Amino acid sequence: MKTLWNWLDSRTGLGDWCGWLADTPTPGGPGWSKVWPCAITFSFCIEAITGFFLWVYYSPSTQTAWESVYYLQHQVAGGWLLRAIHHYTAHVLLAMLILFVVQTILTGACRAPRELVFWATIGLALFALAAVLTGDLLSWDQNGYSATKTRTGFLTLLPWIGDSLLSLANGGPGSTLGNLTLTRFFALHVGLFSGGFLLLLIIRGALARRVNDAIAATGGATPYWPRQAWRAGFAYLAVLAVVLLLSCQHGVKPPHAGVPTLSPADPANCYSAARPEWFLTGVFQFSQLFPSVWEVVPIFVVTGLLFCIVMVMPFLARTPLGHAFNIVFTLTILAALVGMTYASYAKDRKDAVHQKAIALEQWQADRVLALAEHQGIPPTGALTLLRNDPKTQGPRLFAQQCAGCHSHASNAYEMPEIKTETPTAPNLTDYASRQWLAGLLDPKQVNSAKYFGSTKFRGGKMAGFVKENLSELDAGEKKNLQKAIAALSAEARLPAQQELDARDAKLIEEGRKLLSSDFGCTDCHRFHGKGTLGIAPLLTGYGSPEWLAGIINNSADKQFYSKLNDRMPAYAPNADPTQNTLSLRQVQMLTDWLRGDWYEKKTTIGK
Amino acid sequence: MLKDACCCRQEETDTEDRRGFLKQVAAITSGAVAFLVPTAAGVATFLNPLRQKAKGSQWLRVAALDSLPTDGTPQRFPVITDRTDAWIQFPAEPVGAVFLRRVGAAVTALQSSCPHAGCTIGYDAQAKCFVCPCHKQPRFDLSGKRVDGAKSYSPRDMDGLNVEVRNRGEVWVEFQTFRGGTPTKIAQA
Repeated sequence: MKTLWNWLDSRTGLGDWCGWLADTPTPGGPGWSKVWPCAITFSFCIEAITGFFLWVYYSPSTQTAWESVYYLQHQVAGGWLLRAIHHYTAHVLLAMLILFVVQTILTGACRAPRELVFWATIGLALFALAAVLTGDLLSWDQNGYSATKTRTGFLTLLPWIGDSLLSLANGGPGSTLGNLTLTRFFALHVGLFSGGFLLLLIIRGALARRVNDAIAATGGATPYWPRQAWRAGFAYLAVLAVVLLLSCQHGVKPPHAGVPTLSPADPANCYSAARPEWFLTGVFQFSQLFPSVWEVVPIFVVTGLLFCIVMVMPFLARTPLGHAFNIVFTLTILAALVGMTYASYAKDRKDAVHQKAIALEQWQADRVLALAEHQGIPPTGALTLLRNDPKTQGPRLFAQQCAGCHSHASNAYEMPEIKTETPTAPNLTDYASRQWLAGLLDPKQVNSAKYFGSTKFRGGKMAGFVKENLSELDAGEKKNLQKAIAALSAEARLPAQQELDARDAKLIEEGRKLLSSDFGCTDCHRFHGKGTLGIAPLLTGYGSPEWLAGIINNSADKQFYSKLNDRMPAYAPNADPTQNTLSLRQVQMLTDWLRGDWYEKKTTIGK
Repeated sequence: MLKDACCCRQEETDTEDRRGFLKQVAAITSGAVAFLVPTAAGVATFLNPLRQKAKGSQWLRVAALDSLPTDGTPQRFPVITDRTDAWIQFPAEPVGAVFLRRVGAAVTALQSSCPHAGCTIGYDAQAKCFVCPCHKQPRFDLSGKRVDGAKSYSPRDMDGLNVEVRNRGEVWVEFQTFRGGTPTKIAQA
């Protein structure tokens, strides 16, 4: 072992190197207040290590960025911890840099001969800030996307060069973020900002060493090893403990462990609850004090001035008065930022609209996770899962297209009830279910607002039939009516009634016969080969996906209301899909949603 | 050597040495632990592929019986199935190809990838044999046997696959891939 070491040492001079590092002078002797540079270096090493392994999985494109992060976090064992360590260490690193700069100003350690060391530390903070901001976009989720769009948008506030800077940041003209934004941000994050940080860290170390060696020559310093080294080691453990605590704040079990997964970035669906990170919240709140045409003042002018003042602090600190100014100024700005940050969070916490947007995003994120786990991610990306999901899109389509006339008790997260002020068409909650049909065939309800009350069928043939033939039924007739209702409802093949329909197969068979015999439905309706079309809607397959799609496509079709159609618009009557209001897929999602037909993750109740 | 004279001094330096040693141990262990945790998380994810298993064999419908020539000429058919690539689920994609050959009522299936190094084997209609394009040389007869026997580039005959004719006229194949370069057929696990 010893010979091996001797051989290595003679060839490399490694022993001298280690000795040189171990002898790094600690001015004024060892102390806890001097662990910052080591803790910062350590945090950067963590970022480099975890960053490399994240790189192994990451794929920067709009169709794969969110998806590859999803894969790492939810399909690879330990992936959530890796991402969480990288994410939270970055924030801890930035926080430490800010505190270190403040400490340097307050103790006057920024003054000569340490001006360059001080500036290098500020440079490190800026590189770390840039790395965090570029890293934020890489997961391509709703928050990162919206926040980046706002941030890059601020560049246009700058006169002359603003638009060009925006194009350079986005990788294309205008404010659209896309594939080239991701590849750019990824390269900037890994190459320029992290690489630049490393370079500056080495430069700063060399500058500090030069100053400290001079102090050591006068006997005012002690060697790093081991009296300062063990303190640094403990500081590493403290950093790690904080990072692990943050990583496990939502537990250690997927899918909620680690950095919260948000839904994939959707350019068409802006995330209104997007907020800047904690270190920018104060500036964000401050900028809101200005009218938007003057936004350049808080965002660039004031921050630029602050930066300039901080940069000249080493020279100000040469006089006692200047040092006092530095202290008062720094503490004032710090207090103002903390106060502004608190005010911003307090405002958001009380803002019901903001909280609702966050809750909706959480609902959507859980939904996309459930869908991705269930059916995998299509080649077009995870956003397709949400865009093709009846549970997500059904209520939105209904609210846009149908809610002008129809109401629905809904079941969507963001709209528990879709209520039209004055409904002019039937309420479609649980449409075609036994319960819904029982209401339609109830003489007391058929002319109510829930059914035909506000339509031109109020007091029409169907309502007349119900009033005449279905009131004052005896027990036997009532039973027959129930059979007929069960039979008609079974035509819809509703997922919620699947077991019920299977159980009542015999009853449904009897009901089917009653529909065309005793009840005489086929006098007006067509039902399984009996009756004619053109007078009233077809009852074969009533409420089924095909039937519902048909009536949405064109309710004035011969199969449905024909010439008797009330005001129901035809949403897709043309063979050419570009001529239609709704696409085939949209109609499908609407029918699926109305029928309660979508994937639902099975939850085990209890243990 | 100056033990008696400097007895007290010696003890002091002993304590200092012990403290210094403890500090060194503390510095090394705390530093090591702090670096080890994130590195371990990274290495664990890096090694994830070792924990995954490849898809085994799969019965797939490949062709209609009527589309096979009755004179025993082999015909190539793509094998189409859902494919998972990390996070993406590709629906109905070609994942390989097989040669189907109908002799009378019997249908045989051969993997189209060469048992030597996995190149895609072609059919030479004039010579009525299979030829691997990578070396031109591994030639196989219509049943998949190596024409040159043990002297062939290919370490084994073409890989046969199980075939069934189901539902009156659908040709189903138990599709799987085998390791290249071995004299025996080893299913790719």
